[in-house]
Amino acid sequence: MSSWLDYTINGLIVGNVYALVAVGLALIFGVSRLINFAQGSIYLVGAYIGWVAVVQLHTPLPLTIILVAVVAALVGLIIERFGLRPLQNSVRIAPLLATIGISFVLDQLVMLTFSPNPRALPSQLPDVRFQIGGGTIGPLDLLIAGVGITSALLLFVFLRYTKLGWAVRAASQDRDAAMQMGVDVNRVNQTVFGIAAALGGVSGLLVGMYYNQIDTAMSLQATLKGVVAEVVGGAGNVPGAVVGSLLLGLVESYGIAVFGTSYRNLFAFLLLVVVLVLRPNGLFASARQAPPEPLTGTFIAPSRPVRIPRWAFAVAVALFAILPLLPVSFYVLQTLINAWLLGMLALSLTLVAGTIGQVSLGHAALLAIGAYTSALLSLTLNLPVGLAIIAGGLMSAALGTILISPSFRLRGHYVSIATLAIGEIVSLVILNWESVTRGPIGISGIPPLSLFGYDLVDPKAVYWFSFVVMVVLALLQVRLLGSHLGRSFRAIRDDDIAARAYGLSLNRYKSLAFIFGGFAAGVSGGIAAHLYSYINHETFNTQQSILALTVVILGGLGNVVGALLGAVALVGLPEVFRIAAEYRILIYGIVLLLLVRFRPQGLLGTI
Amino acid sequence: MSNINRRTLVKGSLAAAIAGTTISRAAFADADPILLGVSGPLTGPNAQYGTQWKQGFDLALDEITAAGGINGRKLAYTFEDSQSDPRQSVAIAQKFVSDPRIMMELGDFSSPASMAASPIYQRGGLVQFGFTNSHPDFTKGGDFMWSTSVSQADEQPLLAAYAVKKLGLKKLAVLHLNTDWGRTSRDYFNNAAKDYGAEIVVTEGYIAEERDFRSTLVRVRDANPDGLVLISYYSDGALIARQARQVGLKQVICAASSVYSPKFLELGGDAVEDVHVGTRYFPEDPRPEVQKFIAGFKKKYNGLEPDAFNAYSYDAMNMAAAVIRIGGTDRKAIRDAFAKVKDVPSVIFGTATFDVATRRVKGAMNAELVVRNGHFTVWDGKPT
Repeated sequence: MSSWLDYTINGLIVGNVYALVAVGLALIFGVSRLINFAQGSIYLVGAYIGWVAVVQLHTPLPLTIILVAVVAALVGLIIERFGLRPLQNSVRIAPLLATIGISFVLDQLVMLTFSPNPRALPSQLPDVRFQIGGGTIGPLDLLIAGVGITSALLLFVFLRYTKLGWAVRAASQDRDAAMQMGVDVNRVNQTVFGIAAALGGVSGLLVGMYYNQIDTAMSLQATLKGVVAEVVGGAGNVPGAVVGSLLLGLVESYGIAVFGTSYRNLFAFLLLVVVLVLRPNGLFASARQAPPEPLTGTFIAPSRPVRIPRWAFAVAVALFAILPLLPVSFYVLQTLINAWLLGMLALSLTLVAGTIGQVSLGHAALLAIGAYTSALLSLTLNLPVGLAIIAGGLMSAALGTILISPSFRLRGHYVSIATLAIGEIVSLVILNWESVTRGPIGISGIPPLSLFGYDLVDPKAVYWFSFVVMVVLALLQVRLLGSHLGRSFRAIRDDDIAARAYGLSLNRYKSLAFIFGGFAAGVSGGIAAHLYSYINHETFNTQQSILALTVVILGGLGNVVGALLGAVALVGLPEVFRIAAEYRILIYGIVLLLLVRFRPQGLLGTI
Repeated sequence: MSNINRRTLVKGSLAAAIAGTTISRAAFADADPILLGVSGPLTGPNAQYGTQWKQGFDLALDEITAAGGINGRKLAYTFEDSQSDPRQSVAIAQKFVSDPRIMMELGDFSSPASMAASPIYQRGGLVQFGFTNSHPDFTKGGDFMWSTSVSQADEQPLLAAYAVKKLGLKKLAVLHLNTDWGRTSRDYFNNAAKDYGAEIVVTEGYIAEERDFRSTLVRVRDANPDGLVLISYYSDGALIARQARQVGLKQVICAASSVYSPKFLELGGDAVEDVHVGTRYFPEDPRPEVQKFIAGFKKKYNGLEPDAFNAYSYDAMNMAAAVIRIGGTDRKAIRDAFAKVKDVPSVIFGTATFDVATRRVKGAMNAELVVRNGHFTVWDGKPT
């Protein structure tokens, strides 16, 4: 029985750690309705500034905290001023992409400055331990709890009782009305970003000290857990974020207690999905609270797509089709094969995210389902590879649609968070369901691509195969978009209430979109599995989901040609930047930011 | 040639502009070095390992050059960043295969990235020398796949013998990274430990991003083991040791050789005191190849102590040089040379000779260390 006390205490301790990030995320979401993916990077910057202060400058703890808070707040202000403010009148999704780009840039800068090796960040507090239950806690636990709870309380008071706080809340409820009432919305945003960034930086410092370890990979994990905690508590609700974090910590700890360590994150993400489905505004939303997203779809603003003449398509397709006959290296072909595979995924995502407005952040899961289905069928049942890939597409369509269906009632950012969670759940199930998926060992010896008994191993053959599959899927999708189905999809995206009033069944159309999209993604995953010959749970990871979304936004939401163009660009750019070695991801991040800045509706525009 | 020049040039100017750091392989003065391709992570979540590889490679290359190169020609490598991502490693594979200057490929780091590229190397007839690829199926990819990664079938029984026979532990809790490496290692360890008469009371697999182990350690405590076994890398190993001591677990801790790094001591602090580590070499090891490696490394990197990954890459570069000395500059002859090369001096193996059937090297050296006063020292046989 005493173990349960220990699990509870441990859950609260780690929840405490999550709370620091979640509070900052909640604050920013509360004002700008933006999930700030760069919060984890500010946390990283804070940790390394702390390292410089503690190890190089030997500052005492209070000074360290102030220094970190000031520098992090400055970084936050710079992000707000140069990364996000220029985008405030553009599509709602542009700032989201901008924060992803900013996080690339910040993470890379830290890595280039400090090297990717982990470093020790010694705690400056006396090393005394207090016995609680079967374990102990130290002064840092108390300090982290103190900072988390105090900052949540201070923010609560600030938002409720000060004039600037009122302005913040007014701006979050209705930006235009607040401006008419004379609220300086830019100053409000600055204040919020400054506070949130300072908090993020200090949390990085404290968590680094807590584990005596900082490394450049800590950023994404912090963001993921922070987002989960924040949404569980109710996006934008600062005290809710603290409670959500503690709850997340407890669920993880009890999950470990009952099922073992490797199930930990499974429970974190299941909690998120359950909360989203049952109480989409978070556990602590009041009934009176306005819906967190506008009722009609300003999330994805329509824009005028770039018209490309038909003959140009024909020429482009013909050029790419004869490319292997020209003297190009296999490296170029392989890079384009990657682009075509990513292109299929992007077709899927642009339909789901662009055309019907369900922005998915877990699309790599569909790849994984298709890949595992195809690999296992061809290995265990000796199914011909061509059929196995089609079966992978069908399985991905079916399973993907079933998994996503509980979140059909969600809107805007909530869909993204739910799909992010579902993507993580799929990956964790693959890791843990060893009797079928072979767990972390993965599946090796997957037969190569073949068609009617002929192995396609020559890069030219693989190129043509993937290119033809992609073109066929793209043409089907163009046909779909031109039909009444396509019009219904767009009607649902643009105004789901009006669409419903017209008698469109939202769930049915969303399912149809996911079935088609799931098939394309599953086929892409299946081809990849046979191309790689080995896959495991890490082959299709969160980074790929984020990459796919970047491709789709870059190309123009819902835009079929845009998706393919985006895929070629985002596979090609990092390869082109190879001459810059370690700096290439940094350059890639900067290019991404510039594109979002000057072309927020995507290269070819939303259709 | 133009590619390398441009690469070095851009890299050099960028580095000079941003950090002012020096580039180690700057001089390509004498014509046409023999070129190796390295595919590995320089950015992304595994970037630290790519950086460690480079240190080992560069040291080995310095020594090879000082000894007159390969029949008078210089040996050099070009490092392509794959981020340990299979999509990028396959593109790099095509690049290397279609570049006639590349004689052999080294890497990649993670199994998904390495093994996705294997079919391309196999069909392209370029040796993929995966010196950290412990996945049991890696060398089954074809006869162009060779590995000097210490087979876990070799290493884990040694660790089990240390824990069970030498330290007398009878009830073990095993914590392992839930990756292909961690899983394979765990199975070999558990089987060996059981053969030696110990009982495995609990096994817990954790994912690489895990930072918090408190609840896991409650499970461990409730299983009431007399020793903890960590099949971990140094960063997670240090975290577990710290948290184990913080929650009041006082059992003996035994760790796999992959924690052998000065970083383990730095990150773990007092908590890793008395941790037992089975390793392949140690600083006071009298073997000449070890002394040469450690002295050279400290000299080149301002007193930095080398770790396990540095040693793997140092050995790999020396092995590559030895193979090319026999095979010359023909890719197929290089593959055949792997079967001919004998008794190459090695930090990890003493002398390395490939087993032609498995395309791996057997018989890793063994040293039993313990952390005392913040240093790895040879275990004196006293219980802790």
